Amino acid sequence: MQNLIEARSLFKDFGPTRALRGVDLAVAAGESVAIMGPSGSGKTTLLHCLAGIETPGAGQVLFDRLGEVVDVAALSDRRRSELRRTAFGFVFQQGLLLPELTAGENVALPLLLLGRPRTDAEAEAARLLTLLGIGDKAGARIGELSGGQQQRVAIARAQAAQPSVVFADEPTGALDSVTSAEVMTALLASTVGSGRALIVVTHDAGVAARCDRTLHMADGVIVEAPARVGEAS
Amino acid sequence: MRLVALTRVFARRAGGDAATLVLSVVAFAVVTLCTTVVTGGAFAFFTFTGPNASTYRILALLALILLVIPLASLGGAAARLAARRRDTRLSSLRLLGASAGLVSALTVVESTAVALAGAVVGAAASLLALPLFGLLHFDGRALGGAIWPPFWVFFAVIGAVALLSAVSATIGLRSVVLTPLGVRTRVVGARVRWIRVVIGAVVVIGAYVALSALNLIGGIGGMILIYAVLLGCFAAVLSVLGAVGPVVLRMFGRRWLKRAARPARLIAARTVLDDVKAAWRQVGALSSVSFVAVFAGVGVALTGSDSTSSVARLLAADIRTGVVLTLIMSFAMVACAIGVNQAAAILDRRALYVSLDRVGMPVGVMDAARRRAVMGPLLVVTIGSAVTAAIVMFPLTGYALLVKPLAVGIIAGCLALGIALVWAGLAATRPVLTRVLATGMPDPA
Repeated sequence: MQNLIEARSLFKDFGPTRALRGVDLAVAAGESVAIMGPSGSGKTTLLHCLAGIETPGAGQVLFDRLGEVVDVAALSDRRRSELRRTAFGFVFQQGLLLPELTAGENVALPLLLLGRPRTDAEAEAARLLTLLGIGDKAGARIGELSGGQQQRVAIARAQAAQPSVVFADEPTGALDSVTSAEVMTALLASTVGSGRALIVVTHDAGVAARCDRTLHMADGVIVEAPARVGEAS
Repeated sequence: MRLVALTRVFARRAGGDAATLVLSVVAFAVVTLCTTVVTGGAFAFFTFTGPNASTYRILALLALILLVIPLASLGGAAARLAARRRDTRLSSLRLLGASAGLVSALTVVESTAVALAGAVVGAAASLLALPLFGLLHFDGRALGGAIWPPFWVFFAVIGAVALLSAVSATIGLRSVVLTPLGVRTRVVGARVRWIRVVIGAVVVIGAYVALSALNLIGGIGGMILIYAVLLGCFAAVLSVLGAVGPVVLRMFGRRWLKRAARPARLIAARTVLDDVKAAWRQVGALSSVSFVAVFAGVGVALTGSDSTSSVARLLAADIRTGVVLTLIMSFAMVACAIGVNQAAAILDRRALYVSLDRVGMPVGVMDAARRRAVMGPLLVVTIGSAVTAAIVMFPLTGYALLVKPLAVGIIAGCLALGIALVWAGLAATRPVLTRVLATGMPDPA
């Protein structure tokens, strides 16, 4: 299986605290991976290093960008920002959408940042929202939407620029169990279902169970990493 | 006792929030400095004797009235910032079982303490600034020692600033939902109605007709009636600016939204439309100042400076100086208020800005959106009010431009300088944004 994104011996310190201690991880296109572990185990730090939000103290993050392998950790701040804008998608625990904008405008925002004309961007946003079952909410303000609907808008925003990898940090953390299951279904369908990789940090075993693999972290290292489907010995 | 103990604990733990604390103290210091200088100026005018003494007093009062609006705006912004920085810890306290009353009292005590510290710094700064303002010439001589207000004024201003902060913090607390699960400050902006535009148009037309018929009015009721009509028109048009302003901003906001092709423009237009009244509150103080600057500037250009009487010429020159001073001070205060408001807004939306950075939005886009959301309404208000004044004074405006272009140019230059001052105030808050982005958000894992 071809790796889309790969971490090699990642170390990360925050002052005297060592958050990552030599983490290795590889994720392929079309694969979903859940990262679990207690608070402070380093799972969000790992996600941030993979996504280029943080730079590791040591180690590499190799990303296969349309056949060209780039070391995310070695890129400048501006290049990493550009990478996050064009190749990665993000879903956070609490949507974190712009409250002034409508749902459609929030989804169109990544496309506008890429220079797409507004009419095109809003048409694409409407299509994505429809796919996620909230096409009728395109003109609604964020404050008028339920938590589950807001997460669907966030999922649609994460898909807008057609990223290769979607990073989700506790995407269902603020939702009830029924809505959580619905949002996870939408997230998996729009990422893995479209050939993208999905990396989810979660405390919820139910969410993790729906991913292809679950990695467990403790004290900055992966303590339990089952082999990929099809690679088991 | 619990209140005192908690206040001491909070005060000791303020180190991590030092930037906001310093900003709050500086904002209150500027409020105190401006209030003291303006009050000193007013006192100085009341010491004048001679044929124009009463005119100077009326003009001093008019300037005071004009400066109260931006001053209140700055004071309110400073007080809101002082209260906002406590939100997170206050909701934590509620979670630990503190009563809403205790939490409210804590906020008021803390905000007042910050205001008091800023006011003392501002009063000390005014001791240095007053001699400089004393160099200004009015009525043919430097203000000199006359600009020093009585000693009790310093204490009164410090007390008033602290009181303003306490009242503002109390009002601010009433507008938030302080629950154990957090503090929610978002409210849906009140609607603005079109009827305001209609009423405004009628009042402006009425003022125009009244001013056009001044000769006739003078013939009927003499100079007293002319003064009454002039002041009445002035008050009416100022109140129209306040009533119509939000409606006009909404109209422009919709136009900006329709034409927005880039993210920064889209976000800025939506920010204005999200709460038009808030956008107006931020820059509205400049509407009256800008209006008066053109109104008085044109009037002075065409009257006193050509007079054969030296007293009249002196008065005209002094009015021009007063207008320029009022204009610059108003813009300076609004620039400060906008800086404080923007810093508070960045801190309020810290999580959102960090998330936008994480999804790859360039900081330049975030900054441009903030800048446009302020500068757009500012330009509409400043230029709109100036144009309204020019229309009210219509035949005279054109004449003044022809015969006294320099006098009109000075007023226009002051307006441009003021706009640049606000832009600089906005630019000064960019480090707050970059620091927020650099610090990020504490993550749970």
